Amino acid sequence: MSGYDIEAVCKKYIGFETAVSQGRYPVEYDPIRRHCHMVEDSNPLFLDPEYARKTRYGQVICPPSGWLAMYFASLGPWPPVFESLVPMVPTPGKRIVNMSQEVEWFVPIKVGDHLSVKRRIVDVYQKSISIDPEAVWIVSDSIITNQRDETACIVRNTLLTHRTPEEVAAAQAQGARP
Amino acid sequence: MKQPQVYWEDVAVGQDLPGFELEITPKRLYLQISGSQDWYPPHFDVEFARKAGHPDIFMTTGFTQAALVRVISDWMGDEGWLRRFYFEMRRQNRPGDLMVCKGRVTNKYVRDGQHLVECEVWAENAREGVTTPGRAWVILPRRGDSSA
Repeated sequence: MSGYDIEAVCKKYIGFETAVSQGRYPVEYDPIRRHCHMVEDSNPLFLDPEYARKTRYGQVICPPSGWLAMYFASLGPWPPVFESLVPMVPTPGKRIVNMSQEVEWFVPIKVGDHLSVKRRIVDVYQKSISIDPEAVWIVSDSIITNQRDETACIVRNTLLTHRTPEEVAAAQAQGARP
Repeated sequence: MKQPQVYWEDVAVGQDLPGFELEITPKRLYLQISGSQDWYPPHFDVEFARKAGHPDIFMTTGFTQAALVRVISDWMGDEGWLRRFYFEMRRQNRPGDLMVCKGRVTNKYVRDGQHLVECEVWAENAREGVTTPGRAWVILPRRGDSSA
């Protein structure tokens, strides 16, 4: 055992909310184009300003991907102004894998919008995986708002954090040592 | 490929959505970094991935979500609205795989005046079968709606 105190971590972090972080740049055409390009998405609503102008949106909108919304709200600026959940929430391992996402959409995100994000920790628990008996799972909500303080979407992410097999073996060897 | 506008009345439970295939080539790996801006090393650094216990590098959450969302947005038309979307990254799509993205209508109903359609969506490959199951809740226009 690593001595990791899951109860103390839960007590301290579940319900914790970050401050609001605003993306440095507004929603722009080219990141949307690159996002579409990677999956061969040729939808003109996401790519063609002339086409989009004639739709009910009046402007190019983002594909309804929570990942892209997060990009504009947080990850676009450099240097980043967005603190990752690890190490915000202490965990035995620093390797991460996104296990699931749920996105609820309320209003479209348009080119020119300026997005912000606030996150809250919904749950933290330990559940073993094949390579790490002390893997920690973090469930968080990211609430993404636009410049009118409208909630555009809420992204619920379940993040698995784990140690490498080497780290697990080293911890087990240390634990077995008299 | 974008499809003509679909209307709630015309949707049948059990119908398949037009899907598509994406070859996971070296070029696609670069495209996914460009498109997702996900710089976490297991998605491009084989040694880093293996040290973490993965057999190989694998496609990102952003890439996978974009592909599954495209199954819906290609189909629902400009007047459709993806209200809610859920997916699980259960297994991996890796270099050399043909990632096949599909969807199917599982339910349709009216709730709070909104005409909803539920779909299952998923990605699969020949090596793993279904890698990424998901669900989508879509609001569709009715024929004769003034906005449609």
